[in-house]
Amino acid sequence: MSLYVLEGLRPWVIQRVSAVYLVLFFIYAAYCYFSADVIAYDAWRDWLYNPFNTTVTGIFVIAILFHAWIGMRDVVLDYVHNIMMRIFILAVLIGILIGSGLWVFRILLLSVVA
Amino acid sequence: MTDNRPVYLNLIKIRLPLTGMVSFAHRISGVLLFLFIPFSVYLLDLSVQSAESFAAVKQLLDQPVMLVVQLLIIWSIAHHFFAGIRFLLIDAEIGVEKSQARIGSWLVLLAELIAILLIVVGVYS
Repeated sequence: MSLYVLEGLRPWVIQRVSAVYLVLFFIYAAYCYFSADVIAYDAWRDWLYNPFNTTVTGIFVIAILFHAWIGMRDVVLDYVHNIMMRIFILAVLIGILIGSGLWVFRILLLSVVA
Repeated sequence: MTDNRPVYLNLIKIRLPLTGMVSFAHRISGVLLFLFIPFSVYLLDLSVQSAESFAAVKQLLDQPVMLVVQLLIIWSIAHHFFAGIRFLLIDAEIGVEKSQARIGSWLVLLAELIAILLIVVGVYS
């Protein structure tokens, strides 16, 4: 079984590409937050469920999940040397990330259903 | 051959250079941000469900202990953001040389301090 996903150039590239997207998203989000007239329930929902914002937020979620996975994987590989412990911790991490990701997509897609 | 030399790894006594501190703080802030993900998603869920649950989020975040957590999140984002940009620039071979690396680290700390102040003033006033 190839463990290519655990090493090499590809994660390195993904980490940097996602980083650039995260920087751009945070600038956009901060701009929206600070230029908003009010921070209230209706305005917030209107912002999030605007198709453009739902889309860029969805991409943001994908970017941050990959970014967090690669970052946490690097930390675990640096400090945890027992192979079973590594697999266990990495499994827990990916469970948290995938669970959080599915939860966000449920939230983002509710507007389509409702 | 066994090596009986003492290993001195007192983490409090080890003095990292500034660039090392910024790098290590990037790692710490990254782990903190990861830990905040599930909680953030929970708050996001509450915030869109109803006007009442949106108000509940505000109420939750206004508690004194949560103000500390918020400050920790703001620091983590600010530091990870600027230190991350610095690492991207270093990947592009900008600011690699030792004296430039020191300046880069100072700029990261300066930018993050300004960002934290702006966010705190902008959000809480």
